[in-house]
Amino acid sequence: MSQKKVLMKGNEALAEGALIAGCQGFFGYPITPSSEIAEYMARKMPKIPGCLFFQAESELAAINMVYGTSAIGKRVMTASSGPGISLKQEGISFCAEGELPCLVVNISRGGPGLGGIQPSQADYFQATRGGGHGDYRIPVLAPASVQEMMDFAILSFELADKYRTPVMIMGEGTLGQMMEPIIIRDKVTEFVDKPWALTGCAGREPNIMNTLVLPQDRLEERNRMRQAKFDIMEQNEKRWETFMTEDAELLVMAYGLLGRVARRSVSVAREQGYKVGLIRPISLWPFPDIAVQETLGTVKHILSLEISMGQMIEDIRLAVAGKVPVSLYSRIGFVPNPEEITDAIIETAQREGL
Amino acid sequence: MAGAYGSGKSEVAVNYALARAAAGHAPVLADLDLVNPYFASRDAAAEIEAAGIRLLAPRPDLAYGDVPSLPPEILGIINNRQEMIIDVAGDEFGALVLGYLSSHLMARGDYEFWLVVNPFRPFAGDLESITATKTLIEEAARMSLTGIVSNPNLLEATDIEAICEGHARVGEYAQALGLPIKMLAVEEKFFSRIELQAWIGQLFPLRLYLRPDWISDSR
Repeated sequence: MSQKKVLMKGNEALAEGALIAGCQGFFGYPITPSSEIAEYMARKMPKIPGCLFFQAESELAAINMVYGTSAIGKRVMTASSGPGISLKQEGISFCAEGELPCLVVNISRGGPGLGGIQPSQADYFQATRGGGHGDYRIPVLAPASVQEMMDFAILSFELADKYRTPVMIMGEGTLGQMMEPIIIRDKVTEFVDKPWALTGCAGREPNIMNTLVLPQDRLEERNRMRQAKFDIMEQNEKRWETFMTEDAELLVMAYGLLGRVARRSVSVAREQGYKVGLIRPISLWPFPDIAVQETLGTVKHILSLEISMGQMIEDIRLAVAGKVPVSLYSRIGFVPNPEEITDAIIETAQREGL
Repeated sequence: MAGAYGSGKSEVAVNYALARAAAGHAPVLADLDLVNPYFASRDAAAEIEAAGIRLLAPRPDLAYGDVPSLPPEILGIINNRQEMIIDVAGDEFGALVLGYLSSHLMARGDYEFWLVVNPFRPFAGDLESITATKTLIEEAARMSLTGIVSNPNLLEATDIEAICEGHARVGEYAQALGLPIKMLAVEEKFFSRIELQAWIGQLFPLRLYLRPDWISDSR
């Protein structure tokens, strides 16, 4: 063994990544397929000085504990799955207005309603459109491997503190449950100052954490200030991976674990002579529209692969502004295998005469 | 067959059932993983049933649930003294189902209760964690373990050094817990490696049935 590896489930790797990033609080309510994140924290956190794990009485309580713990300047997180994330929306909106950094994890299952417990990408709208009430955006990262579950947990806390914002990681249920060998990253040792935190006001002016903004001018000012921050994130935080896009005529787009399946299918279609390329969005918000636009010199058609009835496809259409047609291949309740995706790609290429 | 989730117990259970069937026995494989349906031994139903093994699993309409649902025939099969391999879910909650079955299993008397251990998994990398797992599972199951299945692997990153180092650690745990090592499970491709010949009597070849190829091929 060249490097020291361990075998982890995605959920465990994400939890360990949060601990590496110095997360000191976990508040949540268990739900399949995200529960191992809470279970991991329940076993680890009581042994780490300064850490608090608490299984809340409800998702609402959990997200408000996140709000409070973030307000005192600690790195803090919660994790759930679709129905639980819906319950947390009010609190996420409050964290957005309070500019409270935190990590919210959605290990997604099928919906709507209680739905099923199989993997899903149907929470894309909820994640990327704000989810809760009011004008706000939060960065959303979509890992594709167990290693990325760990790495993106670390990155999320960095982004959250840098922009004073909640950050979401969204992964299909399978990604939380599957195991892969990974390398444990080094502990994060540098943290930004949080002069805004409620840490006791002896010797300074009190800090106030409040999301009620009654005067019209103040409310407008707050919203414009926040929008300016979203604009900066749109400038700086678009993330994606491209694969064989240089001369591609058919562009395939897929994120998360499905993006990884698609990569293999694109290779196979290439071997059969189809000019296919792949963009895997890593940040779902901000959406990597520039990456799509850069391919439009050669690309004549875009195929969006989704474990939903078609949600990311709307962002792709916004990105290409009618310049090329965009179609959808969707399945529900499982991650389709590479053979099925290869067939869908080739069928699309043939149909479009590519 | 018990073990923390991700220990490889379902793969070991499926392979063990297939090995018994190949040796002319007629085992029943009971998939009692009621905690979580992701990567359960019932996923290999086609291979299991093709080998003539009867698979007992939650009813199809409950197969995607995370609710406790036991196949109703199970007590009859236990009491009929048929050969049976029981794959119990992950942790102490998973083992609760054995707590319900244990009086019937103990009445039979001829049972083995093995703990599958992969020392490269979280909470399996030190004696303290393994001891805690053993205690929790035994309390929930109301049965005592009778042996350890050593399953040292890093999936596609496994190499012979990892197997040897990992198995040595499992050997230390087993000695400290006073339990015999019943099997050293290794993927087929490592089966004839000279480094493993010291354990030839315990060596058990594994073929992975529950892991989609594309996970390892697309890393």
